[in-house]
Amino acid sequence: MIQPRDLFTQSIQLSPALLMALLVIPVVGGLIGVLLPAFGYIPALDKTTFTLSGFYSLFNTAGFGTMLLLSAVSSLVSTLLAFTITVLILACYFNSPWLYRIQRLLGPILVIPHAAAAIAISFLITPSGMMSRLFSPWLTQWQSPADWLLPHDPWAISMILGLTLKELPFLLLMALGALAQADLGEKLRAQHKVAMSLGYCPMTAFFKVVLPNLYPFLRLPILAVLAYASASVEIPLILGPNAPPTLAVAIMQWFNDVDLTLRIQASAGAIMQLLLTMTLLLSWWLLEKLIKRFSYNSLINGRREYAGQLIMRFTQLLTVILLTVIMLSLIGLILWSFAGYWRFPDALPSQFVLLHWQHALQHMQTPLLNTITIGFIATFVAVILTLSTLEAEQLRARNLSNFASLLIYLPMLIPSIAFLFGLVWLQEQVGSHHAYFNVIFGHLLFVLPYVFLSLASSYRRLDPRFSYLAASLGVTPSKVFLRVKLPQLLAPILIAFALGLAVSFSQYLPTLLSGGGRINTITTEAVALAGGASRRVSAVYALMQMLLPAMAFLLAWFIPKLVFTKQNAAHYVSTSSTKTTP
Amino acid sequence: MQSSLNIKQLTICRESTPLLSINECITGGEVLSIMGPSGSGKSTLLNWLTGMLPHGFSAKGSLFLNEQNITQLASHQRHVGLLYQDPLLFPHLNVADNIAFAMPKGNKKQRIEKINDSLKQLGLEGMAARHPQSLSGGQQARVALLRVLLSEPKAILLDEPFSKLDATLREDTRELVFAQIRQHQLPALMVTHDISDAHAAAGKIITLSADEQETRC
Repeated sequence: MIQPRDLFTQSIQLSPALLMALLVIPVVGGLIGVLLPAFGYIPALDKTTFTLSGFYSLFNTAGFGTMLLLSAVSSLVSTLLAFTITVLILACYFNSPWLYRIQRLLGPILVIPHAAAAIAISFLITPSGMMSRLFSPWLTQWQSPADWLLPHDPWAISMILGLTLKELPFLLLMALGALAQADLGEKLRAQHKVAMSLGYCPMTAFFKVVLPNLYPFLRLPILAVLAYASASVEIPLILGPNAPPTLAVAIMQWFNDVDLTLRIQASAGAIMQLLLTMTLLLSWWLLEKLIKRFSYNSLINGRREYAGQLIMRFTQLLTVILLTVIMLSLIGLILWSFAGYWRFPDALPSQFVLLHWQHALQHMQTPLLNTITIGFIATFVAVILTLSTLEAEQLRARNLSNFASLLIYLPMLIPSIAFLFGLVWLQEQVGSHHAYFNVIFGHLLFVLPYVFLSLASSYRRLDPRFSYLAASLGVTPSKVFLRVKLPQLLAPILIAFALGLAVSFSQYLPTLLSGGGRINTITTEAVALAGGASRRVSAVYALMQMLLPAMAFLLAWFIPKLVFTKQNAAHYVSTSSTKTTP
Repeated sequence: MQSSLNIKQLTICRESTPLLSINECITGGEVLSIMGPSGSGKSTLLNWLTGMLPHGFSAKGSLFLNEQNITQLASHQRHVGLLYQDPLLFPHLNVADNIAFAMPKGNKKQRIEKINDSLKQLGLEGMAARHPQSLSGGQQARVALLRVLLSEPKAILLDEPFSKLDATLREDTRELVFAQIRQHQLPALMVTHDISDAHAAAGKIITLSADEQETRC
């Protein structure tokens, strides 16, 4: 292939390298930035000798073992649960129109920020929450809120519930996305049919034929979910145990402590967190290998029916319960945001007021402006970088190598708490003191992988003959990109933009750390308020968190329709005018 | 007892327009060929026979397999084997395991022996541990045939089974499939748009027309 040598082509060829550098340097630099202090090296505190004291004090911290156990068990159990329920729902509704109805019901949950989801769930299960109100007093005889420890229960049940409910839609949508790929989906459905014609009941046919071929497409999303759950901060803060908390939450508290010497212990903790997450990812991989080996014989033993009906009924019940829990959480949140006086155990407030919304909206202006500005800039940069990287791929007629693709997903697999503190240190070292810029840069790291993931498949599916045709008409590469490719990709670009915004809106840790606590967004405010006194104000902030990404997606859905109607109208006018001219 | 697949007074309608009507009895070893242009309802007929008639279609009539009414049985309870134009071998299983998957439960050793014997019969000796994708098109078609036959079906449906094979391979595979159907005395129904397939099947040929009939369902 002969490469054109114009400025556009040459500069676009650089973008994959730029994109990689933007992702890899901060992550690796950030990791070095916690590795040095973890071994006692902090020049700013006049500590320049390498010691293991950070790790000693970490191991001697009261409840350190419990912290590790909490992080490991909650992430592993929630990921297993989310994966199992995903597979059950897929198996149960594989040939049913309900699969897509469930997708439509669960889809919006995907873009709800973790903090908002956690707040909604905490309102549902708290002693005076929706759940106990609905069952009181007719069933429980309670006249005052029960004395239970939900949320923040020491067994981390609320936290596992929160993580599972947030991970489930992601895994389900990833699976449905794989099934929506024309070649794969059709093949798997045809093979499912073959298995049924061989006498397999639909449930068994799914498990023995579809699942083994679908799983490879779910592996990366599962690992991302597991990595996230093992180091997440918002959900454990709002739903998890307090004394001791999970490792990630403890690390954050040590880093933010006024006692600067705790930095060494916190850095050692960040390294432990990294090891823990890697161990968990490795355990999942091992578990997968074991299951594959030990289930192989049962794949071919000819058994066609394993209590399929029973599992089907169970899954249907589970789906109804899940959807009810989600609905009730949302309804509860909306009720609290408008509630005036609300006596326990009434299921509805006795008065509805707009006061909390008015009050919150007045105080919300700066965080709201911050949220939107940061989101737009980070997403804009991410979309431009992604588009030019994908264009560079097509210009040199070669996809990114597997290694490069893995690098793009690095920020999704490495726990952010492990490198963000190092990144803050790195930003100080290079003299980047502008908090706003640092926050946008921090968000970019997390927005970029999602934007890339969302755009790559549609960009690679573009029919290359359009650009060959345009080139044969003498159109320059830059015009092919701007006039031929981008207009065809309007809808996927807008969806990627909305997704980028949603990811940015939901960031808690990067905003808090890179901004040095000086930049407030809706999400940081919502997390701060979640532990506070007013459930009503907290509900308003959580709802605001949900409304912002919802609006972004609504626009992404609406704009292409508007553009196409306009084009059609223009087309109609031009054709009708040619008809009337004599 | 002679095996048979009996389609009694079948009329399939799309919305409320009749699509096709059939009343045929196929005896064991016989192949009924269904021909017709696309849109004439060939695949809809197959869907009804396998119990997977999609939404928007309705059917009157009944299906008897060896004198037993299976009209209301679910697809996996019918014992009706399917052979598609694509071999659709399971990519996560090797050749022998693809066949083992289809066989009824039983003694492991006997199953393996049976697989090896039948592979040998169809000239696929030594292919047991191979991955399906590493086989040629003709070999894949033969494995798919073995998979259906060893699942011990009571009837077999062929959905344009040879349309993806090239000319020489096509004739050989066709001979093999029809010979096996005769040998197992299975009633078979083949959907095809190639008249040479229908002639080779040496059974009755029904041609469906694309025009919609006058009467309403």
